[in-house]
Amino acid sequence: MWRGFFHLLKKDLKLMLSSKFFILTFASLILYSCYINFIYVNLDQKIYPVYLYDPQEKQVTISDYIIKVEKREDFEIACTDQYSIGIDLSSDKPIIYMLACGIDTIDHYRTIWAWAVLSGNVDGKAELIGTNSKEMKSRREITAEFLFFELSAVGFLGLASMLFKEKQMGVIRVHGILPVNRVMFILSKLCLLLLSDLIFTILLTVINLGLQHGIAVLPTVLLQAGILSLIMALVGFFCAIRLPDFKQFSLLYLVMAVFITTPVFLVGQTGVSWDWIFYHPMYHLFTEMKAAYFSIARNGLLYYLACLGTILLLFLAAYRTLTYEMAKEG
Amino acid sequence: MIEVKELIFSYSKDKQALHGLNFGVGDGEIFGFLGPNGSGKSTTQKILTGILKGYSGMVSLFGKEIRNVHTQELFQKIGVLFEFPYLYTNLSALDNLHYFSSFYPKDQLRDAEKLLDELEFKRDFLKKPVSSYSKGMRQRVSMARALISNPKLLFLDEPTSGLDPAGAILFRKIIEKERQKGTTIFLTTHNMLDADLLCDRVAFISNGTIAALDTPRNLKEQNSNHSIVITYLYQGRREIQTVEAAELKVGIPFMYDELISIHSKEPTLEDIFIQYTGRRLS
Repeated sequence: MWRGFFHLLKKDLKLMLSSKFFILTFASLILYSCYINFIYVNLDQKIYPVYLYDPQEKQVTISDYIIKVEKREDFEIACTDQYSIGIDLSSDKPIIYMLACGIDTIDHYRTIWAWAVLSGNVDGKAELIGTNSKEMKSRREITAEFLFFELSAVGFLGLASMLFKEKQMGVIRVHGILPVNRVMFILSKLCLLLLSDLIFTILLTVINLGLQHGIAVLPTVLLQAGILSLIMALVGFFCAIRLPDFKQFSLLYLVMAVFITTPVFLVGQTGVSWDWIFYHPMYHLFTEMKAAYFSIARNGLLYYLACLGTILLLFLAAYRTLTYEMAKEG
Repeated sequence: MIEVKELIFSYSKDKQALHGLNFGVGDGEIFGFLGPNGSGKSTTQKILTGILKGYSGMVSLFGKEIRNVHTQELFQKIGVLFEFPYLYTNLSALDNLHYFSSFYPKDQLRDAEKLLDELEFKRDFLKKPVSSYSKGMRQRVSMARALISNPKLLFLDEPTSGLDPAGAILFRKIIEKERQKGTTIFLTTHNMLDADLLCDRVAFISNGTIAALDTPRNLKEQNSNHSIVITYLYQGRREIQTVEAAELKVGIPFMYDELISIHSKEPTLEDIFIQYTGRRLS
């Protein structure tokens, strides 16, 4: 049985090489790493600018974060970008003047920030965020996000393109009459993709977090990467076998990207808050991935049981679809 | 070798593909399975090769009901040539054969290069990718894939399609040679010439039922009107007359000066197929 498995593995490796899968993955690795190291960590993410209109000069000490405006018109113009905050001290009580950005949470943070700046509670020298420096926090965050994107999108497409090639050649049907277990046919593809994803994870993590920090988080990161890789590979396998051509697959991919992954990124990255996101399976995978990069233990046994159950169910679905495809008309 | 009794198969409630097939194929026999598209040929072949399950009735291969046989064990004994040459186009002929043969026990395998030589495959292309091959060359590699495991039972689906006349003759020779080795062959085809030249017996399948099953010769004889066409010269003129075979017992029943030719007027397998099923094969 295992002899057959190694022949399948060898054949799949050749197919992956001929489909330039590894070149694509390697290019992604270089692209992400260059972005993180040369652009992202150098971005000094500016905090909300705070404008002060104080015609009577009531405020004696003024924080470095405050921009003083002399004219009322200039003050109003400065605060029309849904980002800046104005403090109007022209009347008895200070008034916060800003254009709502549409997300309550963010507007709330903007207000708190403006009050903190006004009352002199911000010294502007905070460097440590938890146990991480500001740069390391950024590195961990963006590496987790890129890895999540790579595993859920690029790997998924890579496996599908390989399967569509085999479907086009008709060779999947030939495997229906070969003395090889169909489970092995699926396993060989999963193993290769998993191995490729894990190597990618190691390289991306070590390159962008550094050897010491990278190795420290790798066990938990690899576990999360393995879970995500298997789930996405099985979904990709199922869709690629079930759908008749790559066009339909691409359409499904777009639908998945827009309606499934986007809410997860929105909630994870911005101040958007939806109660229902808790029931979104990808949200848990995403937060687990991020938590792994910060070495924070989050979900427990239930999460891992749910993942295992999902993988088993998807495997069964993939197996049944493969059997159906093999028996289809020529 | 093959025994099928009351075989029924439905794809859905209102789409019954096979309505109780009964037939048997003996060891070393070439059995032709003839029918138009959608008649149930492919469904029958898929059930026999263990790809399609969920049938009712009895299907036995090598003396065992295939429901009870471990499919891997069954697949080691059979070879299948599909209608289309399904091959890895990024691999060469040799790589394809090495890959597909790697799943069989080594001691039952034939030498890939020798096999391709027998099939008159151009040696220059042995290591070139299949994507650069003509249809005929791909069909040769497909045939080699079906034969490489030395199967005891061979399923051939339209073996000569895509081949030029010389290639078709070569394939018929190869099939005949396999039979001489004792291989049983289940041949699914539209090609009446293949069926006529190769098959010991043929079955006509139409709308999921077997309309007729016999040797090509018997089918022709049973459906022949036993007439003889005689061409002759009489008083300097060339004449043609058709007479019943029985009339020849007493000699040529008309006046003539010189006989030019005497031919029996036999129906073709295609004529008989239409007679039984009311449909053409293609």
